[in-house]
Amino acid sequence: MSLPVGALPLEAAPIPAFVALFAPAVAALVLAAAPALRRRGAPASWVTLTASLLATAAAVTLLVTQLREGGSHVWMASWLQINGAGVGDFGVRLDGVSATMLLVVCVVATCVQVFSLGYMHDEKPPAFGRYFAYHALFLFSMNLLVLAPDLLQLFAGWELVGATSYLLIGFYYQKPSAGQAALKAFWITKLADMGFLMALMVLYKTTGTFRWDAAVTAATATTVSGLLFFAVVGKSAQFPLHIWLPDAMEGPTPVSALLHAATMVAAGVFLIVRANPLFAHAPATRDVMLLVGSGTALFAACLALVQTDIKKVLAYSTCSQLGYMVAALGAGSVFGGFFHLATHAFFKALLFLAAGSVIHAVHSNELADMGGLRRRMPVTATTFIIGAMSLAGIPGLAGFFSKDLVLASVEGRYGWVPFGALMATAFLTAFYMGRVVFLAFFGEARGHAGHAHESGGSLLVPLLVLTVPSVALGWVAAPLAHLSGATYELHLVGVVPILAASLGLGGFALAWVVYGRGTLVVSALAPLERLVATRAVNRVYEVGYRRVLLVVADVLGWIDRYLIDGLMNFLGWSAVAGGRALRRVQTGNAQDYVFAVVLGAIALAAWGLLP
Amino acid sequence: MIAALLPVIVAAPAVAALILLAIPSRYAIATRVVSMAGATVSFAGSVLAAVHYDRHVGGLQMPFDLPLIPSLGVHLSLAIDGWGVSLVLLTGVIIFAAVLASFTVQRRDKEFFIYLLVLVSGVFGVFVCQDLLIFFLFYEIAVLPMYLLIGIWGSSNVVPEAGPFRFVWKIFDVGGREYAAMKLTVMLLLGSAAILVSIFVLYQGAGATTFNLGVLGAVPYARTTQIIVFPLLWMGFGSLGGVFPFHTWSPDGHAAAPTAVSMLHAGVLMKLGAFGVIRIGMMLLPVGAAYWAPTVGAVAVVNILYGAMCAMSQKDLKYIVAYSSVSHMGVVMLGAATLNATGWNGAIFQMFAHGVMTALLFSLVGLVYERAHTRIIAKMGGFGTIMPGVATFFTLAMLSSLGLPGTAGFAAELMVFLGAWHGSHAWWTIPAILGAFVTAIYVLRASRAIFWGPGPSEHFHDLYDARGVEWAAPIVLAVAIVVFGVWPRLLLDLIDPATIEYLRDFASAIVRQP
Repeated sequence: MSLPVGALPLEAAPIPAFVALFAPAVAALVLAAAPALRRRGAPASWVTLTASLLATAAAVTLLVTQLREGGSHVWMASWLQINGAGVGDFGVRLDGVSATMLLVVCVVATCVQVFSLGYMHDEKPPAFGRYFAYHALFLFSMNLLVLAPDLLQLFAGWELVGATSYLLIGFYYQKPSAGQAALKAFWITKLADMGFLMALMVLYKTTGTFRWDAAVTAATATTVSGLLFFAVVGKSAQFPLHIWLPDAMEGPTPVSALLHAATMVAAGVFLIVRANPLFAHAPATRDVMLLVGSGTALFAACLALVQTDIKKVLAYSTCSQLGYMVAALGAGSVFGGFFHLATHAFFKALLFLAAGSVIHAVHSNELADMGGLRRRMPVTATTFIIGAMSLAGIPGLAGFFSKDLVLASVEGRYGWVPFGALMATAFLTAFYMGRVVFLAFFGEARGHAGHAHESGGSLLVPLLVLTVPSVALGWVAAPLAHLSGATYELHLVGVVPILAASLGLGGFALAWVVYGRGTLVVSALAPLERLVATRAVNRVYEVGYRRVLLVVADVLGWIDRYLIDGLMNFLGWSAVAGGRALRRVQTGNAQDYVFAVVLGAIALAAWGLLP
Repeated sequence: MIAALLPVIVAAPAVAALILLAIPSRYAIATRVVSMAGATVSFAGSVLAAVHYDRHVGGLQMPFDLPLIPSLGVHLSLAIDGWGVSLVLLTGVIIFAAVLASFTVQRRDKEFFIYLLVLVSGVFGVFVCQDLLIFFLFYEIAVLPMYLLIGIWGSSNVVPEAGPFRFVWKIFDVGGREYAAMKLTVMLLLGSAAILVSIFVLYQGAGATTFNLGVLGAVPYARTTQIIVFPLLWMGFGSLGGVFPFHTWSPDGHAAAPTAVSMLHAGVLMKLGAFGVIRIGMMLLPVGAAYWAPTVGAVAVVNILYGAMCAMSQKDLKYIVAYSSVSHMGVVMLGAATLNATGWNGAIFQMFAHGVMTALLFSLVGLVYERAHTRIIAKMGGFGTIMPGVATFFTLAMLSSLGLPGTAGFAAELMVFLGAWHGSHAWWTIPAILGAFVTAIYVLRASRAIFWGPGPSEHFHDLYDARGVEWAAPIVLAVAIVVFGVWPRLLLDLIDPATIEYLRDFASAIVRQP
């Protein structure tokens, strides 16, 4: 079996790669193996945080090396042994894509963990420790995914982040709604993951490896990429498998920031970037991606308009932005999708954490319980507004640059339909973010909002740290593009950027008119609200689960217990009954036996005499 | 010393049982110490065997031979290969954990340990025996104590079943431990009868001089013979391996059995069945196996999906775990039916993975049942607040059950699916993968129903987390799940050489056949 160019034994991998991969793993193992430590709470958080800081430092080192030296390097060992040969690669692959993604993941994770120190402070020590143990496991799983040298390891990380997501959504396991949300998230993504598993099968059968850069025919590339994209639809919450993401907001807010906005849900997009050699040979899959991505972007943005829960607005916004990325990748702009992933990770994590800071202060998720918070929580308000502006694509901020790339990539495709959808989404995005900003931070204080106080240091520092890339990341697009093997040219003047920027500003302006000053009432939203209230998409899944799957299971269970097992019981019973019936033959009377003998003799004679 | 390792592993539990006979039953501690010693010797021996097995040389190692009936060619012939090492290691882990989990047995504990240890000697014997008749002898030693273990120490009528068939169930005393013990034994003995007939056919066909497996494997039996005898072995061993439709003893048997017995039974004994199908059925009758492989695979797929769906409809916790065993044993049989290296590696690895995972599940179910005094899931809820440790281990076992990477279940299922997709009947893979998805639904649903939700109702007043020695079994088994899940090559490097060798013999037998 030929190794990819530059493949080296795993032991030779650079130390920072090991640190990034195994520091969180060691932290997770320590916390799993030392319950006494974990249950004391605070020490557990320090273990996890140390590991995250180490991983971040390692990621910085790796990225710097990558910037200086470039190229891609693979260090690995075989994970399975079949028919005398190693199968499946376990190891690290360092190149521009993985080094960038690794740093994004580690920085956001560390910020979120610091934020959690304050946010989760009121939890009981065992719960606090458990929370940080999950975080260590998550960071390991995510780094496993990011550094994967082949699709098998990527799948392992993929499943593990899914499992940690299940554990973290269900962190408040005593709340029935959290339990439901955790299961729903796991089931929907697991359903999609069957596609990933099938893709592995097909790839292994045709190439004997799990590598995305193996030479394949166009047909295989289409099959494999199509199956992989099915998994992406689940993980990255694209229509129609998006339904788990809004429910996943049942988890603690920092978890929503890390897993369900910045990193885990973006793993789907990362997979497409990684497996680009396969997707590049599959134009059919890319067309589907373009349509699903742009459709989801518009659909989710519409749903975000009418949410009353601040986290749900952000959740639908995440779906929508992931749709942008998928659309860009579908249009063939790998760097466009990847760059939007990176900027989105920062500004969406910022938005979620700032929302967490608000929720922490007002003890409610509902926008109706907020208002006027900009005076009481100036830092939170400022950072949230910066994040919102970045998301809305206000010129100069990170989101503007990446969104511009996405929009430029879909220009002219399919009779401008995806372009139109994404442009409309840009406007709606600005509008719904404006709505949140004006409802939460401006106007009169409602509910507990009048007694809100600015959060403490551990909550504010991560916000400030995340603000930096949310503002400035756009200006380093060129070196990042270079790392990913793409080229990037800044063009501020053109139809697309000017149109997008004016739509963004227009959306904010309209939101100000409607929700800031209240001089205009948008009646168009009322039917949308009614439509959302029907939960039509969710209904389909509920019917499939309750009315089909569980009923079929009950029928089969009944068949097994009563028919199949009934047959076994019947056989047993007939043996007993048969014996009982035959027992009557043994009467003990000599006359009866003689009679039987005579009868037998006659019968034999008759048989013998017959012709 | 290494030469005598296999007899020591096999005999240690039986010797411990003999010593127990001499200890008055009032010495509860001595009973446990002796049992633990027997289990530990076997466990340590199995680890030693795994370490000492030379994977570069491969083949059968550490031979031990003792002629028993020379005139008939019956030898007590023990030797071990890579498959054997894996399964002996599995048995070692599980008996160690099972004895620890039985420390709380109160009633007639001495007899309990005696039967348990005798049973395990039989299991070890099957995995290392190279003589067909003695193989069968060990097989029976492993199966028969089950009757007493369930009949005496089992639990009765814990399944209040309503519905139109209630009166029929009353007639059969369904749910009773005597019923379960009887059903299990009768069904398995029917299987044994089929096996015994096949053994004589094979012995006669080879000239009636030897029972040696290696010699018998080289005998080219007539094609018709193979096609007729293979199904007998498949169904005979398959009835213990949970092959549809002979699986119905399993839910009742596992539900009625005491904790340690469920652990051993689902963890190890069901593997004897699958091992028998592969090691005896497929290796001695390759042409028959190749002929029947499509059927074996199709039935295995039924096992996987149908077992999973049945598990989903169960209301009793032990029934869920039992049906999940039926489903997971289907994965083993599917791997066997692929007739390729990937699938066979997967099958043997799945035996190990499912063994530790299901033993862990049953040990935890036992803990929950002891405290909650019910196994009806609908009555539970919120136990995680009171027993976080049990909940954690339970979650791990459930995640392994649904094939999460990093647990042993993933590597096993992956290889079986890859093998099946590679094999001549690729369509098998689709329902098998769907079965894995259904597993994700029912295991997490059960886990949530038991441990999640608002704190337990006041009805459960004496719930508490695992204590003291109760932690031992879950920890041992959980470590095995994670270690072999993270780095499956620890076992695969042993399994693979044996697979290559068996597969080579298998292929050449197919080619040789006229």
